[in-house]
Amino acid sequence: MNRRRFANWSLKTGIVAAIAAVIPGVLTLRGRSRVAATRGVAPGDRLVFALGQNAGQPVTQGGFTQNEAVLAYPEGKSDNHENLVVVCKLDPAAIKPPTDMAGVAQGVVAYSAVCTHLGCTVRFSEEPMEQAPFPHIHCPCHGAMFDPQKGCVVLGGPAPRPLPQLPVRLNDKGEVVVTGPFSAAVGVKA
Amino acid sequence: MGVSGWLEDRLSLDKFGAKYLGKPFPVHSTFFLGEIALFCFVVLVSTGLYLALFYEPSAVTVTGEGAAALPAAYASTLAIDSHPFGALVRRVHHWAAHLMIASVVLHLLRIYFTASYRKPREVNWVLGLVLLGATIAASFSGYLLPYDQFSVTATAIGYGIARSVPWIGSTAADFVFAGQFPSAATVPRFFAYHVVWAPLALSALVALHLVILLKQKHTELRAPGERPDPAEARWIHGIPLWPEQAALMGLLFLILGAALAALAAFLPVHPSAFYGPPQPITPEVKPDWYLLWVYGALRLIPGTLSFRFLGATIGSEAIGAMLVPGILGLIILFVPWLDRSPESGPYAEHPAASPGRLALGLAVVTLFLALSLAGFGAELGLSVPVLWGITVLAPLGVGWGVHLLVSRGKSERIVLGRPGR
Repeated sequence: MNRRRFANWSLKTGIVAAIAAVIPGVLTLRGRSRVAATRGVAPGDRLVFALGQNAGQPVTQGGFTQNEAVLAYPEGKSDNHENLVVVCKLDPAAIKPPTDMAGVAQGVVAYSAVCTHLGCTVRFSEEPMEQAPFPHIHCPCHGAMFDPQKGCVVLGGPAPRPLPQLPVRLNDKGEVVVTGPFSAAVGVKA
Repeated sequence: MGVSGWLEDRLSLDKFGAKYLGKPFPVHSTFFLGEIALFCFVVLVSTGLYLALFYEPSAVTVTGEGAAALPAAYASTLAIDSHPFGALVRRVHHWAAHLMIASVVLHLLRIYFTASYRKPREVNWVLGLVLLGATIAASFSGYLLPYDQFSVTATAIGYGIARSVPWIGSTAADFVFAGQFPSAATVPRFFAYHVVWAPLALSALVALHLVILLKQKHTELRAPGERPDPAEARWIHGIPLWPEQAALMGLLFLILGAALAALAAFLPVHPSAFYGPPQPITPEVKPDWYLLWVYGALRLIPGTLSFRFLGATIGSEAIGAMLVPGILGLIILFVPWLDRSPESGPYAEHPAASPGRLALGLAVVTLFLALSLAGFGAELGLSVPVLWGITVLAPLGVGWGVHLLVSRGKSERIVLGRPGR
């Protein structure tokens, strides 16, 4: 091996080694390790109020009236924004497929509150809107509208997918309890 | 031998001065736009130096004296607001950011409408656009820092946009936002972007932009009928950097400082205490004026327009926030190569000299305004189809009308450029 070849090989080896050394460092930029500690929703979780005086208290079937909705988290898992759900109490007779009827309890139905458009928190709307009958769910950011009586299908606006449903039941105290995973991936997805 | 003589012996300042202090600056008010942007950057760095002394880049909850538990970043923002002149400095910082973006945009329009992007200035055109993007990115990274309800909502939308990118969206979003947003990791990351990376990148880009300007010289407006004279091409008419232009710059800086202080004193901008700490609910918010057009595009594009392509879903959000701005950005980037006019050299052109360029430029400006208007559709009571109509027809109408008017008036030789000579 002459000097030129040696210098050439040293250079190439050095470049490969440098890149190989940098990759794990660059991958830590992803920062998922911290988030892994936050937990997703699981069957058996009780839903608790996300806001207001009752924050942290269980949502009960008697705790709010028909055609009303509250924001809730699975108990103890409020650090993960993707766990945020909007629990609606609707007229039981008005709820139709594609709602997962097994996940509805006495008119109580829960959907992900994270808009499928760009991740804002949706609102249960009490104002009738031109394109959407009452009751409906809308997003204050870019005007997406969903129908909570029909599995939160998109009524209008820019949202590409329905809000995923979170199946629930009522326990003997009337508290809202999760029975399964979200019907689809939560939030924005390419 | 005084101090200047002592320095002269060592640094040969006279030689340096002879070479650069005489640099001629053409006198026209629009030639100050770039300087205003630069001075805004200086104000941003100075006020930022103060803010960074007190700001706490952490989303961890802290409890103040007698106050409710708040995220540390938000609490430190409120603490800065309570300092003597603290709120004023924070508002000046915010206003300077708005003014910097505005002056960069106006600077870009001036370059476009006078065709100053032509050979040999394509490099600085591209660099200028990169600077505009970097300025907006720097602003966006600063948006999160006060960590109030508004900040978190705006950044969450940015996170959603990043996630909507086909194929690589969720991975790319994790890299940019240090994982899921909102989570505790994002605030320190954005603090680093905003306080270290953005100012460094902007300084380097500005330096390069100016060195190229120094090398290539300013463009100059030309009197009607005056042909480029190759013998004269090396010379620019204007006032020398020292002392005339320097005096004007100093005055401009003082006026800018006064204007920013007045704006900050009388028009509260981003009142964090009013927005309150982050909550799970989303308030009714609109983005700042320079992103209203993206916001409008997002509202205009219906979810039904989503399609699948090579295994990924190209959603309405990716179309509105990536595809539309990407296409517009690329068109603007390639302006020097789309303009097939052979003229180049030291001269700027009168905006009306080329009806096609003027019409196209005003049509694109109108498109941006129409998209921004779409952001106010709900407030104005305009439905989505009507807004679509405005967005498509207004730019076409403006472009066609301008072209018609200017091509007709062109025969009458509008008086162009520098008055007298």
